[in-house]
Amino acid sequence: MPVGSSSSVRPVEAGRTEGTEHDRRAAPRAVRAWDGRRAERLAPYILVAPAVLIIVVLRLWPLALGVNFSFTGDGDRNGAAVGFDNYTDLFDDPLFRTALRNVGLLVLLLPIAVAIPGLLATFIYLRVPGHRVYRSVYFFPAVLSPVIVGAIFNLLLAFDGPLNALLGGVGIGPVDWLGDPDVAIFAVVGVHIWATFGMALVVFLAGFAALDPALMDAARVDGASLPQTIRHVIIPGLSRTIQFVFVTTMIGMLTSMFGLLYIMTSGGPEGSTYLPEYYIWVQQGQMNRPALASAASTALFLIMLVVGLLQISLLRRAGRED
Amino acid sequence: MSRTRLSRWFIALPMVALALATIYPLLFTANVAMKTRREYILDRFSLTGGLRWENLTTAWNSVGMARYFLNSLIVVTCSVALLLLIGSMAGFALSQLRFRGSSALFLVCLAALFIPFQVIMVPLARIMADVGLIDTYPGLILAYVAQFLPFTVFLMTSYYRAVPAEIIDAARIDGNTVYGVYRRIMLPIGAPALLSVGILNALFCWNDVLISLLMMPSADHRTLMVGVTSLRGQYSDDIPTFAAGVLIAAVPVLLTYLFLQRQIADGVTAGSMKG
Repeated sequence: MPVGSSSSVRPVEAGRTEGTEHDRRAAPRAVRAWDGRRAERLAPYILVAPAVLIIVVLRLWPLALGVNFSFTGDGDRNGAAVGFDNYTDLFDDPLFRTALRNVGLLVLLLPIAVAIPGLLATFIYLRVPGHRVYRSVYFFPAVLSPVIVGAIFNLLLAFDGPLNALLGGVGIGPVDWLGDPDVAIFAVVGVHIWATFGMALVVFLAGFAALDPALMDAARVDGASLPQTIRHVIIPGLSRTIQFVFVTTMIGMLTSMFGLLYIMTSGGPEGSTYLPEYYIWVQQGQMNRPALASAASTALFLIMLVVGLLQISLLRRAGRED
Repeated sequence: MSRTRLSRWFIALPMVALALATIYPLLFTANVAMKTRREYILDRFSLTGGLRWENLTTAWNSVGMARYFLNSLIVVTCSVALLLLIGSMAGFALSQLRFRGSSALFLVCLAALFIPFQVIMVPLARIMADVGLIDTYPGLILAYVAQFLPFTVFLMTSYYRAVPAEIIDAARIDGNTVYGVYRRIMLPIGAPALLSVGILNALFCWNDVLISLLMMPSADHRTLMVGVTSLRGQYSDDIPTFAAGVLIAAVPVLLTYLFLQRQIADGVTAGSMKG
């Protein structure tokens, strides 16, 4: 221990060179200062150590472990290197292909999921009547757990439930919202957007708060219409915010719909509402195929990387054109 | 002028409708939770005949909601306390102290921000099982801390960056050690950020179902959200009791939202402004 050795050396030196009563009493104080400096130098490392250790051991290392894991076998071939077998299994599995198709659907729906909160935030910024209230109301479902939201919509969307009763009243339906393979994924994504648009709305409003009001005034003086104002003032002025919302909304769609799927459809009907995250859970938890699940995890990670980078570069190019 | 005012009201109309659509599902659930089964089957929309608490007590007592509630409370409290402590320590060091490798270590934390739980859940479950932490409170707490730490470190670092170096220098001259500065200066200064990040982390942990399912699967270790999912199977023919269970699980979040809405929104937007 460096601390121990220094305290044993220093007093001896001090005693040899000076040797007066006064200095001998002063020596320990000098030692403490010297130790203190050493401790001070180490202090930043001690302060960051817990965070870095936890992040490296429980986040970064598992990522490497998982990629490595995806090239080994399950069951009988546990631990053996199997090359790309898991990946071929993965893409042969109709359930995973459905999951990928649903990811494609999410990407297509993404502009809507961004435009809704963007437009609403614009209206609130422009002070439509009641603009003080909307934020708190719209943001509210965003704090609820997907499980709670899903449970509530299980009630509302049940075949003999209130929504169909309401639609029946005006002569529509009934629609089997969660039981029809062509409808269920839209129902679940719709609920997800209902539950999360408030989050993006709050982010947009923060972006508006940082927007230069002089620009909006200039647009008003020039007599710009609302679409013109949005096109020429708001979109360029909020480009960073829009970019952030695009990326976080996509990440949200790919990583925080598990709770909804788990309680609303369990991936059904006929596997039509599978998403990669649900597939990973089923393979790991139900099918006991952790290596296949790891391959799906790696695929999900790559999808997110590609989608994220693509979005950023697309939005950047759009930003330059303006 | 009057034309624009008219068009404003025209826009406000769908916005009010949307606001109603945002609140209605929860009001519906609360109403159903107060109904008897007979009332619900006869008419789903009618107002309950009175404030009946039987369904709530049934849900609370008979399906172990009380136990699940306690499990969630323990896990969330410990996770948030650890997150704030570790996150603020790291945030202080990374923002205000000069030392070799600080920017590399910040990058490590930042990189982890982009690793979703789904991508690492299989190996993480294996690691936890190997060290005997699967299906234990410390295991789930550690998983939550690992999950939300990058975000916490990131926000605390950006918050502490705005603290003027003079304040810290003055405290050092007064004879404070680095730890003294952390305890006496940075923690009090960081209080607003710690409150925001703490509430947000509490919501994340309270609302989570995937990590909890994976890390604490056994029946008496269920957290509240996992408990709600198990309610569904048990009460599929007794909707009012099911609704009551859902309502109980939502109440803590509702109260948090009512009183701390500003802090929650601040936490959400802090990430966007600095990101």
